[in-house]
Amino acid sequence: MQNTTVNSVGLSLNACIKCNICTSYCPVSEVTDSFPGPKYAAPQSERFRDFGHPYYEDDSGPISRPLTAGQMPDASVDYCSGCRVCNEVCPTGVRIAEINARARARIVAARGLSLRNRLLGRNELLGRIGSIAPGLANFALHNSISRKLAASLFGIAEKAPLPRWHHETLNRWLARTRTQRLRSDRKVVYFHGCATQYYEPFVGMAAILVLEHLGYEVIVPPQNCCGLPMLSNGEFSAAESYHRRNVARLAQYVNAGYPILGTSTSCTLTLKEEAPELLDLESDAGTRALKLATWDIFEWLRERLDQDQLPSDLRPLNRSDQPFILPYHAPCQLRAHRIGKPALDLLARIPGLDLRESQARCCGIAGTYGYKTEKYQIAMDVGRELFDYVASQADKSDLDSRGSVSFTACDSETCRWQLEHGTGLPSRHPVELLAAAYGLYDLQARRPAAGN
Amino acid sequence: MRMLDLLVIGAGLTGLFAAYTAARAGLRVRVIAHGAGATHWHAGTIDLLGYVQNSEEAVADWTQALPELPPAHPYSLLGVDTIATALDAFQRLTAAAGLPYVRPGVTMILPVPNAPEEPISQKSDLDNEVDNDNLGRNCQLISPVGAPRPVYLAPAAQQAANLEDDRPLVIVGLEGMPDFYPDLIAENLQRQGHRARSVTVPLSRITKQRDSNPLQVSRLLDQPLAQAQFTEMLVNLSVAGERVGLPAVLGLNAHAALVTQLHEAITNRSQQDTQSSQSKQAGISVFEIPTLPPSVPGLRLDAALRAQLDRLGVRVEIGMEVCAFHATGRRILWIETETGSRPLRHTARNYLLATGGILGGGIYADRCGRVKETVFDLPLTAPQARSHWLRPLFLDKRGHPIFQAGVSVNHHFRPLDQSDAPVYDNLWAAGSILAHTDPVRERSREGIAIATGYAAANGVIKSK
Repeated sequence: MQNTTVNSVGLSLNACIKCNICTSYCPVSEVTDSFPGPKYAAPQSERFRDFGHPYYEDDSGPISRPLTAGQMPDASVDYCSGCRVCNEVCPTGVRIAEINARARARIVAARGLSLRNRLLGRNELLGRIGSIAPGLANFALHNSISRKLAASLFGIAEKAPLPRWHHETLNRWLARTRTQRLRSDRKVVYFHGCATQYYEPFVGMAAILVLEHLGYEVIVPPQNCCGLPMLSNGEFSAAESYHRRNVARLAQYVNAGYPILGTSTSCTLTLKEEAPELLDLESDAGTRALKLATWDIFEWLRERLDQDQLPSDLRPLNRSDQPFILPYHAPCQLRAHRIGKPALDLLARIPGLDLRESQARCCGIAGTYGYKTEKYQIAMDVGRELFDYVASQADKSDLDSRGSVSFTACDSETCRWQLEHGTGLPSRHPVELLAAAYGLYDLQARRPAAGN
Repeated sequence: MRMLDLLVIGAGLTGLFAAYTAARAGLRVRVIAHGAGATHWHAGTIDLLGYVQNSEEAVADWTQALPELPPAHPYSLLGVDTIATALDAFQRLTAAAGLPYVRPGVTMILPVPNAPEEPISQKSDLDNEVDNDNLGRNCQLISPVGAPRPVYLAPAAQQAANLEDDRPLVIVGLEGMPDFYPDLIAENLQRQGHRARSVTVPLSRITKQRDSNPLQVSRLLDQPLAQAQFTEMLVNLSVAGERVGLPAVLGLNAHAALVTQLHEAITNRSQQDTQSSQSKQAGISVFEIPTLPPSVPGLRLDAALRAQLDRLGVRVEIGMEVCAFHATGRRILWIETETGSRPLRHTARNYLLATGGILGGGIYADRCGRVKETVFDLPLTAPQARSHWLRPLFLDKRGHPIFQAGVSVNHHFRPLDQSDAPVYDNLWAAGSILAHTDPVRERSREGIAIATGYAAANGVIKSK
C-alpha cells in the first residue's frame, strides 16, 4: 500500500501544497484575528523553526537539517485551540495541530509557563483536592466573588462552564457497590479519566452498567491523568511522566489482552496517538502496546454490534407518543480518532429516537482553551455554529408538547459543559442514553436506575 | 447492521455527485475521504470540454467536438445523451440547493434566497426532457487574468461574465484583498476588443483587517451592515449600462440574497440615469471572477452537495485514509482506513473509487518515476519513465503525458487489467482518476467528474 503522506509530525509539513482548505475550515481564525490560520501558523512557519527533528527526507532516509538556531515560534500559535479540524480536512495529511502543539511547547520551554496554564494542566490534582470535601470545594469555587477573583488573579474566564465536584467519586461508588459488580471471564478495562472520576462519576456508572449488561466484567485499575491538558498547554515533560505512569499501570492488562475502553474521547485519543506522537514515544514498546489496546467505548461497542453481540432489549426513551429529538455532536476530539461516528450507529438502535447529526466543526471549548479569559469569547463565537444548530432542531410549530428538544448528546465532557453553557439544555454522554435505553440508568437524575 | 450498497471513496465533485445519484435511487450509500474534496480549489464553474488535442481553438459546442476525442476518452465511452442527462441532473440538484447553474443561451436566472426545500425526486432522469436548443454550447467567461475561458455551466453569479455579451465592463478590485488584479484583467479585456475599465475600492469601510483572503471577505459580506455599505460603494462607481465584475467573494451563506440585492441596486441606478427600462432585459449587472484558493464558489458548491446528501441520509466522513483492502478472487470484501490506533474496516457491496488524480491523491508519483494508484493498486495507464512525464515545452498544445495517467475503464466504468477484463466485479471508478483524458489541457475536469460519477453510480444501481 502506498502512503501518500508521511505521518511523522515533522516530515508531514512537506506534504503541504498550500491549498488553503485548512484555512477555509479553521473555526478559530474565522472568528478572531489573533490566530492567522493553520496554514500560516503551522507548515509555513515550521520551515523556519529549529526543532532539530527531521524535516527533510532523501533516498537515504530522514535527514535532520536544522536551520540557524533560535527562531522562536510566533506567540499567535497559542491561539490555536488544538481542535484538529485542520488535520481532518487536510487532503495531504499534514499534522497541523501537532506542529502547533510542539511550537507551543517550545515557547513554554524557553519562556516558562503561566500559573494559570500550570493550574489548568493539573486536572487530576484539582479533582483530587476538591473531592476531599466536594461540598465545600463547590461552595468555595462556584460563587461570583471566587470567579471574579479567579478571573483577575489567574485569568480563568468568569463565565466559562467550570464543572462541579460530585459528592462521590467513581472509585468510592465502585467500592460501595463492590458486591453488586459482575464477575466474568470476559473482561474489559475502563479508563475513566479525571472528569469522570471527580466531576461526572455517573458517566462511568452508565458505561460500567452497559458493559456488564453485555456480560463483561469491568476492571477499573488505578490510573493517572492522560496528560492531555499539559500537552495542550505546552508542558511536555510533566505530561510524559503522567503518560509513562499510565503505561506502567495498565501494562499487565494490556499484556493480558484486555481492551482499554474510555468514555472520554480526548483521554483515549491521548493514549492512542497524541502522547506517543508529541512526546516522540512512538517506538516505545509499552506506549505502542497501550496505543493498540485503547478504544473509544462506542468504537468497541460498534464491533459488538457488527458481530451481533449487542443485547436487543433497548426500550424507547420517550414516554407515550412524544418524540425524543436528540441533536448529537461528534466532538472534534472524537473525529480526530478517525473512527467515524460510532455512537450514531448504536443510538440509531434505540426505538423512537429521532437522532439529528450536527455538522458543526467545534463547540469552541477545546479542552482548557475556552477557560482562559482572553479566549473565552473566541470559544463562544466558535461554538455559535453548534448552538444555532441545536436551537434549529426544535419543532417550532409545537414546542410545548411534541417538538421540544430536552437533551443534547456529545462524547466529550468539556464539550458537554460548553454545550450546556451555550444552549441552556442538559447534555449527556451517548453511553448515558444507551444505559437509559437498557433500563439501567436514570437519564434525568444521572444515576443508576433503582436496582442497579 | 444492514450492509452498505455503496461505499464511495473520495469527497470531491465526482464522489459527492455519484453518492447523490446512487442515494436518490434508494441505495444505502456512505462517503469516506482522506480530506476535504478538490471542489475547494475549483473556480465553481462546470467546464465540460474547452479544447481538443492539437487545436488552439476553443470548443464552441461540445456535442460537435465529441467525435474528435480518442475512443478510450471517458466522454467517448459515455456519448452525448448520457453526458447531457448527467449535467441536467446536476443542474436540478444545484437548483434545489439554492445555487442554480446556468447553460449559455438560456434565460438569465437569479439565485433565490431561502428557496423552499423541494422534495427530492425519485423519478428517473431519463423522464426529464433535456432542452435541445444550444445543448452543447460553451460560453466564454473571464479568467482571473482577463483571458477568455470556455465554460459549459456557470453558477448564476458568474453568468454575466459571458464575453459574448457586449455590455461594457468595470472590474472592481478590493484594496486589502491581495491576489486579484483588476487593472490586468481590464487591460487584457481591452486587448480582446471589450470595453473594460478597472476600479479599486477600499475594504476599510467594512473591515479593520488590512489583509483579507477571499473567504474572509465573503463571510464579512454575509453580514447585513457590510452588505449595505458594499452595495452603496458599487452603485456609486458603476455607470449606466455597465456590468460590474468582482472577485468571487459575494457572500458564502447569504450569497443568493447579496447577488440579487446588488443586481437590483445597480440596475435601478442605471434606470434612473438613462430614464429607460431597457437595461432591465440586458441581464444581470454583477458577476464574479474566480480567485486563488480558498475558492468561495468551490466552497458554495461543496456545501450545496453536502446539504443534499444530508437530506438523503448519506453520511460523509472526512479524515479517513485507506491503508489496506481485502479481496477474494474478483470481489473486494472490505477496505481498511488508518485511525489513531487499529485500522477501521469498511464493508460494502460495491465500491466507487473517486479519489482524484495526482493532485487529489488518487495517484501517487514518486521521485523515481513510479506511478501508483493509492487505494487498490490498480493497473495504471501511465508513462513508464520519469523522463516521459513532461514534454520540453510547458505550454505544448498536446499537453503532458503524466497528466493523462490514470485507470483505464470499460463503458460501465469498471477498472480494467492489462487484458482489458474488469479487475474486480464490485469496483467502479470515476473522475480525475480516469486515464485517456487531460483535464488540465481539455478544460474538462468538472464535466468528467459529473458525467462519469453519474455513469458509475448508475452502473452500481443496475448491477443490483
